[in-house]
Amino acid sequence: MNLKAVITGIQAWFDDRFGLSQIFKFLREKEVPQHKHTIWYYTGSAILLFFGIQVITGFMLVFYYKPTLEEANKSIARIMTEAPLGWIIRSVHFWSASFMIAIVFIHLFSIWITKSYRKPREATWMSGVFLLVISLAFGFTGYLLPWDALSLSATKVGTDIPRSIPVVGIWITKLLRGGEDVTGDTLTRFFGFHVCILPVFIFILLGFHIYFIQKQGMSLPVDVENRNEDVNSLPFWPNFVYREMIVWLLLVGILVTIAIFLPPSLDKAADLMAPAPEGIKPEWYFLFLFQILKIFPAKILFINGDTLAVLLFAVAFILFFFLPFIDNKPAERKGKIITVIAYVVIVFAVVMTVWSLL
Amino acid sequence: MMRSRRIALSLLLTCSLAFFFMNSGFGQQVGSDEQRSTEEKKEIVTQTETEKEKLIPSPKNIKEGTAIYVFVGWMWLSIFVLIYILRLKIKEIDRLYKIKFFSAKRE
Amino acid sequence: MKLKHSLFSRRQFLNGLLGGWLGALAASFLYPMVKFIFPPYREPDKVVLSFSDYQDMEPNSVRNFSWGTKPGLIKKNDNGTYFAFVAVCTHLDCNVVYLTEQRKFFCACHEGWYDENGLNIGGPPPRPLRQLIVEIEGENIIVKREGVE
Repeated sequence: MNLKAVITGIQAWFDDRFGLSQIFKFLREKEVPQHKHTIWYYTGSAILLFFGIQVITGFMLVFYYKPTLEEANKSIARIMTEAPLGWIIRSVHFWSASFMIAIVFIHLFSIWITKSYRKPREATWMSGVFLLVISLAFGFTGYLLPWDALSLSATKVGTDIPRSIPVVGIWITKLLRGGEDVTGDTLTRFFGFHVCILPVFIFILLGFHIYFIQKQGMSLPVDVENRNEDVNSLPFWPNFVYREMIVWLLLVGILVTIAIFLPPSLDKAADLMAPAPEGIKPEWYFLFLFQILKIFPAKILFINGDTLAVLLFAVAFILFFFLPFIDNKPAERKGKIITVIAYVVIVFAVVMTVWSLL
Repeated sequence: MMRSRRIALSLLLTCSLAFFFMNSGFGQQVGSDEQRSTEEKKEIVTQTETEKEKLIPSPKNIKEGTAIYVFVGWMWLSIFVLIYILRLKIKEIDRLYKIKFFSAKRE
Repeated sequence: MKLKHSLFSRRQFLNGLLGGWLGALAASFLYPMVKFIFPPYREPDKVVLSFSDYQDMEPNSVRNFSWGTKPGLIKKNDNGTYFAFVAVCTHLDCNVVYLTEQRKFFCACHEGWYDENGLNIGGPPPRPLRQLIVEIEGENIIVKREGVE
């Protein structure tokens, strides 16, 4: 009874009941086009890799973390000192979050610039926008969990921003904070978001996002498509998967190395009554928004500066969400302008981020 | 074609690395592991006695510190070996695809 | 000795090498993760208690103390000596109680009985209560694990 026969037997058992061979057949027949923008195809699975790492390290951290005002900071200290190699697990979770969001941005702009959201892929784009919001929400809620002075202040500022939205703003703030102010209840609520509510939503949306991609196949950039000649393509399995494995190995290597040599420290527990510490700032992916808010004057005409800024963010977000419908003539001048706008946004965000650090 | 893409990818990686190193304004310790492990053992002892300002993570002892270096070395060695093997497999599987080995009827 | 045919083909060799090395790398990642999930349980070597807390005990009575994370009972015997037990039932880990009148330790979970020396005499417990070494040194009672010092 050799091993190959056993494995074939088990595969046949599953296939008879679940039709798994259809999935493998699909993966073998799925084609990945080869052209000068193929490199951006790797960003999607890279995000999935880091998300998987977040889930696994998150499972491990949640074994020891205690989401209450009194215990949060102490439990993380315990993870870093008592739990064997806990500081590495926490460090990987911390860095993988940043890596994931960085690649989400790269993925987003690559889709925008190659206009992969064109018909029939509008829904993929829109589910992707929701995924972006959820990823940022993961980062925001996770940032509070160590409950140190910096994260407390950042959360106070972050949850105060919706307040300037007319009518509904105050309710959004109260929903996020679990009351008027940031308290121990906010911490527990953010923990609930971080480990329960947001994961449910991200899994549902990821399911849609990935299903749409499989159903519609990989998109081609506009200029490649318009060339009307046959594009070279590789089967997804195993050709493209082997290439992805190389990318994954390198990414994991870089992540673990950085996590081991640059682990995050832990400040002492936050004091709700103490004044805000100096140099408070949100995570790097919010810095550009932070800077925009800072440069808005307190009042423009009769409108509160903050309200105007938040309304501007909202308008920008809505335009961003409906981008596939706005960019309905991608090959023409309007389409080219939208591509230029993508580059402008990138430069603007980078400039704002760097400015906020000075 | 592949070469320019590889260059672009490695440039991107270097820039990202630079960005992360620059952006370590989250209060991380920049210093070697061993330095930390002996310094911080003392620091943690005194710090746990009083209200500590900042807990800086480090390996618990020299044995753990060395094990971490060995692990990182082993990990990178494995990664390079695995990438080498994967490149061989990619060459092979691309060749097979080109000669349409899988779409032909098997005897 | 030269083989006529290879044991396996070049493809099999490469596949095996890839899979095997990948498995080894995965295992080296898994090891610290497993260590993290199963933290080492450290039992104290000894516990030092203040004798004044146990001096005024009646003969045939018990008083509790902490043996690491487990409950412990110090029993003063009729002849004035002291016993120390880990007050955890050897059946399924419930905490036991000492019934003074009957001179027996009792576990309420499945009605396990131990006599006044901790020997299991009734019910499901398979072993006697774990006994620790008691030493009185001046102002302290020292409760030690077996085989320490």
